[in-house]
Amino acid sequence: MVYRLCKILTLDSIFRGVSSVSHHQRALSVVAGASEILPVGEKQIRRFRTVESNPVKHDHNHAYKFYTIPLETKKQLFQHGGLPTFFEQQTQTFMETCIMIRDPALEILHYLKTADYTRPAIRYVMYGENGCGKSLTLAHILHYGLASGFLLIHVPWVPNWMRACKEVSNSATREGCVDLNLDAAAWLVHFKSQNAAILNTIDLRMSKEYVWSKREVTKEGAPLMELVELGISRVKYASECVIALIKEIKAHSTQGRCKTLVAINGFNAFFHPKTRVMTEAKVKVPPSKITLTEAFVEITKYDWCNGAVVLTVDKSGIAPDRRESCLPVYQLGKEGFEHLDPFVPICVRDYNDKELESCLDYYIDRRWLQNEKSCTEEGRNELKFLCGMNPYRLMHICAPL
Amino acid sequence: MSFAGLVNRWSRCFFQNTYAYKYTERRGVAISERYSQQPETKYEGTEEFRVLDLKPKKTAVRRKLRKKQEVMPPRTSLMPVDQDWGSVWPGPRTFHPASVPLPLRQGYKEKDAPPGKFGNAELMKIPNFLHLTPPVITRQCEALKSFCSAWPQGLETDAKCEESFPLEIITSDYCHSSPDIRDPLARIVTLKVKLGRLPLNTHAKDKLLRLVGERYNPENDVLTIMTDRCPLRQQNLDYALYLLTTLFYESWKIEAWESEKSEADMEYYDWDASASRKNVMGLLSWKPDQNAAEMSADAMDLDIKEFKEAVSKIMNEGEEEYTLSRYKEEVKKLFSLQDISSKV
Repeated sequence: MVYRLCKILTLDSIFRGVSSVSHHQRALSVVAGASEILPVGEKQIRRFRTVESNPVKHDHNHAYKFYTIPLETKKQLFQHGGLPTFFEQQTQTFMETCIMIRDPALEILHYLKTADYTRPAIRYVMYGENGCGKSLTLAHILHYGLASGFLLIHVPWVPNWMRACKEVSNSATREGCVDLNLDAAAWLVHFKSQNAAILNTIDLRMSKEYVWSKREVTKEGAPLMELVELGISRVKYASECVIALIKEIKAHSTQGRCKTLVAINGFNAFFHPKTRVMTEAKVKVPPSKITLTEAFVEITKYDWCNGAVVLTVDKSGIAPDRRESCLPVYQLGKEGFEHLDPFVPICVRDYNDKELESCLDYYIDRRWLQNEKSCTEEGRNELKFLCGMNPYRLMHICAPL
Repeated sequence: MSFAGLVNRWSRCFFQNTYAYKYTERRGVAISERYSQQPETKYEGTEEFRVLDLKPKKTAVRRKLRKKQEVMPPRTSLMPVDQDWGSVWPGPRTFHPASVPLPLRQGYKEKDAPPGKFGNAELMKIPNFLHLTPPVITRQCEALKSFCSAWPQGLETDAKCEESFPLEIITSDYCHSSPDIRDPLARIVTLKVKLGRLPLNTHAKDKLLRLVGERYNPENDVLTIMTDRCPLRQQNLDYALYLLTTLFYESWKIEAWESEKSEADMEYYDWDASASRKNVMGLLSWKPDQNAAEMSADAMDLDIKEFKEAVSKIMNEGEEEYTLSRYKEEVKKLFSLQDISSKV
């Protein structure tokens, strides 16, 4: 087997040149290379890495270094989405999930640590150009939330609902609204996998009775998990369950029974009038007429406490008529701004020089950059110039090298 | 058919011959008359054998060379250094290389220096001001001074002029050497006035600005009305003054529908009437155990004055890095969030 692989590799490199080996074979060779140099203990930790995998302890000393998210944590947090696709593939290739500790994440972590939780929930809005690392910063903060015992309300990518919803049905309870029940159920599964552990330790119960049908009733005092289970098993009520669940969590947070971290990626999609959700009559539905919107707009209001709301606005998440600028007030629109105001805008920028160096070191360490010139000053400068300091572009440029 | 043709040709030949004979005979008489007195030819008696020259030698025909006209050297070479230029070049005129004692070059050649001034059409195309050199201008001004009256007292500076004459009217006169002395462009009248000189209140100013649109320049506060729709200057001037008057009185009027102005029609972002204020008030007065109860706004006004300014700046001046960072600072103050650098 190994012989055959080597043969394929050598043949391939003869025909196409070493630099353009296909991705699959690259991945195999990378794994083979990485296993040789994977640190046995913690002796070999390089300057671009930190052993500190607990985001609660991250501070400016760890800035621009990569930390590893443990495999179980990653499974718990991002099993049902949350990491960008290409990054996810890369983590599988590298056999580890490493995220760089960057300034915006540190800034938000600092605020989350020092904020006064008796006051209304603070909304943090991350903005930045495409591929600057908003989603990964959000992933870092989510990890922090998990590590410091927050209940997580995480939406991996709102535009998925607005553009590629699985199923549309008319709402039974709200006139003129539509339900995205399959998506709602999928989100409940995501919520469950993220929060099952913490919901076992803190006992949250329903504050009022919900009647779904003649036979199906969620009684007052039932554990919160029961509502989640109901939504997953009875998909018909999933959207309503999400709304009920979020209202319950909001009430519990306000009363101080739990701390809640809301993390929503692509929040501006809730406020852009164009969606691809169609009713049976082929009429486009604005986000305000989708029941899921109501739930997540409700949790991002200021009228609760013991929680924090971290949102991203992304111009790639909405229709092309609102992509001229990535700045948050423009992206949210008038309605969205009035909903979120006052919020803390946080800019996620391109890499700076240190971050770029650190990232290139990491790629070389993972044998992702195998071209011998990538170690030279000249090669690094060329890569720096080609990617324009944009993390996503750097990742793409380095892939065939 | 062919026979008849033959006959015809024969007969024609015959007649022609007879005619030719007659003609030579008559010409011969005339020739003999003319040369009868001349001596006999020299060949007579020598009996020299004349060679039949079948292929005569061609003698090169010399073309007559056209006589080149003598050109005077350019006038510039004869000019004294201290000549009076104003009399060499007294008025506007197309460029003439021989009259201008300057080594000018104009144009482009691929592998050579730009063409010189002789025979250079480019230099003739462009307008020149060779008749308006500084000494000539001085001289002309001196000459004109005797026709000028004294500058009025009290109008020494531009500011004083503007104070006394707030209305500025600009027209143009055109002067050509053509049979027609009228130019259609002379009818155009431009009226300029500083808006600050008109007695307007906030409502009237806002309405006036909406009515005039592009004609107002906010940088120097000047309203410009240009009229050119009437054929005569006087008519256009009257029309411009009429427009200014109408605009003024129209902007002071308050119509019934103006009370229906909503937030979307506002010319600027009014924070005090906005949802942002409502949000902040609700947020500051919010308590976990009670629902949002409106606190007295006066108590908080001092706190949020800067926040108000930051939001208004974003809305009125546009969203950019600077206004956004200011907004961020204000929000942080509002939530009493520590700066990350303060901890370090």
